[in-house]
Amino acid sequence: MCAPRDRVEELNGIEANQTEIVKATNLHKSFGRLHVLKGVDFYANRGEILSVVGPSGSGKSTLLRLLNHLETADRGSIRIDGRYIAKENADGRSEYISGKKVLKICSKLGMVFQNFNLFPHKSVIENLMEAPMTVAGVSKDAAAEKAESLLEKVGLTDKRNAYPGQLSGGQQQRVAIARALAMDPEIMLFDEPTSALDPELIGEVLGVIKNLAAERITMIIVTHEMNFARGISDRILFMDGGLILADGTPDDILVNPSHPRIRDFLRKIIREQ
Amino acid sequence: MDYWLDITAYIGLGAGVTLKIFFVTLLFSVPLGVVCALGKLGKFRILRGALGVYTWVFRGTPLLLQLFFTYYGLGILSDGRIAFDPETAAYITFVFNYAAYFTEIFRGGIQSIGKGQYEAAKALGMNPGLTMKRIILPQAIKIILPPMGNEAINLIKDTALCSVITVTEILRNANRVMSRDFNVGALVIAALVYLLMTFAVIQVFRKLEKRYAYYTIR
Repeated sequence: MCAPRDRVEELNGIEANQTEIVKATNLHKSFGRLHVLKGVDFYANRGEILSVVGPSGSGKSTLLRLLNHLETADRGSIRIDGRYIAKENADGRSEYISGKKVLKICSKLGMVFQNFNLFPHKSVIENLMEAPMTVAGVSKDAAAEKAESLLEKVGLTDKRNAYPGQLSGGQQQRVAIARALAMDPEIMLFDEPTSALDPELIGEVLGVIKNLAAERITMIIVTHEMNFARGISDRILFMDGGLILADGTPDDILVNPSHPRIRDFLRKIIREQ
Repeated sequence: MDYWLDITAYIGLGAGVTLKIFFVTLLFSVPLGVVCALGKLGKFRILRGALGVYTWVFRGTPLLLQLFFTYYGLGILSDGRIAFDPETAAYITFVFNYAAYFTEIFRGGIQSIGKGQYEAAKALGMNPGLTMKRIILPQAIKIILPPMGNEAINLIKDTALCSVITVTEILRNANRVMSRDFNVGALVIAALVYLLMTFAVIQVFRKLEKRYAYYTIR
């Protein structure tokens, strides 16, 4: 974040390839001694529904969190909608543009967390109105109107004045999805959106995500729900050991996997379920 | 009967001074505590170190000693150039002493908010200042209210220490009545006045806690 600004800015021009809304190259990330990402190349096309699957600890969530700057990359470049937020410098280190600019560029990305992370001191509708009003400068009336239509979309109109603590996990996650959508993101990131939910609540959240997919908003979904991923995705990435081992259609990856690690992973998952 | 009314009024005069010290201390030490807590959580290492020394000194030495130091010590050290009247010395000492405790309480309250809240705010495009103001501090208030209530009660009682630097607060006045008339009743009256004040403080904090009871932090 304290990278020399003018240098990075030169590199920050609009790129020619407009279909690739997210592009990351050679991403490395370590937490202490733990080397979580070991040189990941990643892209997502505009309007694409992309799922990232793989065993726990394979680096899926870290990859997602690098894209919207919740973590910073050690090495590699990240480009969102043609603008670099991090660019590999001569030493191979990731050099970030200023924190303010990153925040601006990353506002194109909406994020849904495994643990919802709703604001507990704000009602459902206040959760949806907070960022549009304080960040985007939308008027209170406009923010409320938008929030109402989003609550309708996720089927929680009657919960507008409830507080997050009064909702079930599934309801909270649907509010969280609506909250992210309130900022009109071009890309939605889902970080294991159903992993913290009781089994009977998973369906309602997946249903909301499925409806979103019909609107062709770009979505990158880290998930363990294989059937869901298979049904919704244009493309699936399989990650293991900090690398993307396979990249292909849902059938390529989940139905006829060529890679032995994937077959092994799928067998384990099926046994668990 | 007139006698009891008289000494009660005299002790009540002291209660006015006690309340003044109480409110002045809160008025200045709470904002100072917020600023110091943010400084302690900030990224400037030198500031963090300096604030660490500050809270250590003021929490680690007796308040009575600090009162002596401000009232007598500073005058001696400065050859009389710095001289406070008793009440001013009390305000200064109490503000810095209580701000040190509040710093630690606020720091703890802010730190108890999970990083998921920061991440959610950031993912929505909120900058650190906005996140602190709109998301973190409002939740921290709920957490710090019970320890703040404790400190407020302590503050009422600690004002009695000011009697030793001749501030004419409750205990000083009661004490004077007692030594003049050999009447322990003055102490009982003083105790009742303190109880009345701490009762009011408890009620205020009970109300505040109720106001923040509408939500739960997971």
